[in-house]
Amino acid sequence: MVREKETTLYLGPQHPGITGNMMIKLKVTGDTVVRAETHVGYLHRAFEKLIERRNWLQTFTILCRFCVPEPDPMELTYARAVEELENREVPERAEYIRTIVMELARLQSFMLWYAGQSGSAGLYLTGQWSVGDRNYILDLFEELTGGRIYHMYIWPGGVRRDLPKGWKDKALKTMDYIEKRLDEYNKIMFDNTIFQKRAQGVGIVPKDKAIEWGVVGAPLRGTGIKHDVRIDEPYCAYDKLDFIVPTQEGGDVWARALVRQEEARQSINIIRQALEKMPEGEFYNKVPNPMKWTVPAGEAWTKTESVRGEVGFYVVSDGSNKPRRVHVKGAAYTNGITVLEKILPGQNIADVSFILNSMGVCPPEMER
Amino acid sequence: MEKENKILEAIKVAFNVEGHIAREKRVMITANKDIVSSILLFCKNQQGYIHLNHMSVVDRIEDGKFELNYIIWSPTEKVTIMLKTFIDRENAEMENIDSIWDQANTYEREMREMYGIQFPGLIGRQDFALEDWDEMPPMRRDFDTHAYAEKTFYQRPGREDAKDVREELTKQSGEVIPDFAKKYSRE
Amino acid sequence: MTSNNKDKQTIVEYIQNWSRKHSLFVMAYGTGCGAIEIPATMTSRYDAERFGIRGAATPRQADVLLITGYLATKTLKRVIRVYEQMQDPKYVIGFGSCTINGGMYYDSYNTINALDRYIPVDVYINGCMPRPEAVISGFVQLQKQIAEGTANNAAKYKENLEWYRANQKKIIKNWRMPDYNW
Repeated sequence: MVREKETTLYLGPQHPGITGNMMIKLKVTGDTVVRAETHVGYLHRAFEKLIERRNWLQTFTILCRFCVPEPDPMELTYARAVEELENREVPERAEYIRTIVMELARLQSFMLWYAGQSGSAGLYLTGQWSVGDRNYILDLFEELTGGRIYHMYIWPGGVRRDLPKGWKDKALKTMDYIEKRLDEYNKIMFDNTIFQKRAQGVGIVPKDKAIEWGVVGAPLRGTGIKHDVRIDEPYCAYDKLDFIVPTQEGGDVWARALVRQEEARQSINIIRQALEKMPEGEFYNKVPNPMKWTVPAGEAWTKTESVRGEVGFYVVSDGSNKPRRVHVKGAAYTNGITVLEKILPGQNIADVSFILNSMGVCPPEMER
Repeated sequence: MEKENKILEAIKVAFNVEGHIAREKRVMITANKDIVSSILLFCKNQQGYIHLNHMSVVDRIEDGKFELNYIIWSPTEKVTIMLKTFIDRENAEMENIDSIWDQANTYEREMREMYGIQFPGLIGRQDFALEDWDEMPPMRRDFDTHAYAEKTFYQRPGREDAKDVREELTKQSGEVIPDFAKKYSRE
Repeated sequence: MTSNNKDKQTIVEYIQNWSRKHSLFVMAYGTGCGAIEIPATMTSRYDAERFGIRGAATPRQADVLLITGYLATKTLKRVIRVYEQMQDPKYVIGFGSCTINGGMYYDSYNTINALDRYIPVDVYINGCMPRPEAVISGFVQLQKQIAEGTANNAAKYKENLEWYRANQKKIIKNWRMPDYNW
């Protein structure tokens, strides 16, 4: 047999199909990928080094920039780690507000995913609609926290401020609108034969290897394994709320898309429940003067479920006013490097960016 | 706490190591660097802890040690084990575990670049996130990132004195700052 | 066309600048976190296309290089290549505080602190991150400069290439790049 010639193809860092600033070095024969190698570091800002030079509260400005499309899980995970080190109580109302913020963050990130996933299949209309409608969620964030993208809203011990007057009604109204619109996105995206044909049977993550490979989040649930940090190790008010964690069989892009479609709907459900059940009361426990704030020595490992999968924070304190070490394990760190390198061989070149979007590859949290 | 006790006892019996239960679903174990891979294999193959959650390093410069952490998780028990070991900071070297979990390769490549820890037999590119880096591994605590940035990159003037921008602006526009707002000024 | 004579533009230049300013093709290269506001700027609510701003996939077809935030040294190398491949007329917009003076990354060992030392910048947009309104206002500012004929930084780059090269090579230690003859 004549060995076919291999060509090296660089996908990125400047490429319209890549999900952020990263590069994938592909070896291709003809149209088929033979080998893939992820190159990261284009967004390396040395966050973990900078955190060692900031005090416990200054860290928040850096934390939310770890993952740009969805900054809030990072704040929450770190805040929970600090609370664990300090044994700091969180008022119940704050837990509910945090739940709402988390789910709003998930929802807006799902809407960005709609744009990326359908856009990489050549279907741009969904993106125009969903990114346009995403502004309504960002408006809610802006009224609540003061910022559109970066919020720095969740603190150790609670949240920064209470819900503004009239925010609840506005949020419920927005949820009604988004729910109606989600149906329309689904109609033009999931009922589209081209999208179905491209998504089915592409980028398969095998079920028996998924956990061992370190797959997390929607790609894992797309293989039929029900694992979600929100039910395995409940945080915030998730154990008091009633919601479904959807799973699908198959492990291909189609299964992951169906999982995300249902999760977006569940986010709306959770926000509605949390707004209804939220008790009155305090929204934060007073924190010490940030400049003199010291945290007892120790280490904590906390996990949170984001859109892309579980986000883990390993926080070490040596008893001083600065963190000793904050190490972030973003979902994309395994999903976007090792797992991607395993599932890309055998795929078509045109499907690579399609698979990238469905795996939720987010470069800033891979290289930090 | 039965699950946590069960796994802690199993590891203690098999390897004679120290450990405790930090809180619900967190088991912490400290072990010698020689038996780390054996413990990981034991947990993975016999106890069902098949998911490598995280690997991390802490630079304990005051003791001259690196603290390595392996965080593994079981999908059936939903318990996390945090396995800790110490290695010397000078000529740091640690056993390569990417034959147990493939994704460990990524973590180890990052550690090699950021801390200078060598993993014999580790394949993969030498550089992970940095390019053409010829200084000390940057995440070591004795590397001064501020001094390096000041030396390497052009610093635009205006940052060093950290003046109250508002006062400068009001001086230009002739606006008067009311008294109640002044107390938030820097001085 | 009396007003043009006052601005010392010939009628050809005026028409040239007028048409250039209304078709700004933006290089689709999300170099930093500011790239998250670009989809919002381009889609229905803010709709930047009404100003003639739209995306271009390759450097050869693009007019505007949008540096969306901090530049890691590894990215800087790619940005220089992209910038040199772009054809005249070309403009650069620095987006976010971190392109101006490093912003919150002032002490990071891997991000540059002042973009205009490495490539010429026509317009800076401040903020971290700038809102879509600010982005559009930055583009309008650039259009104003183009109409006045003052946005000629690409020519300055060619004139002062040695100075820029020296700055670039100070950071990029391993310089293996082709020279473009424009």
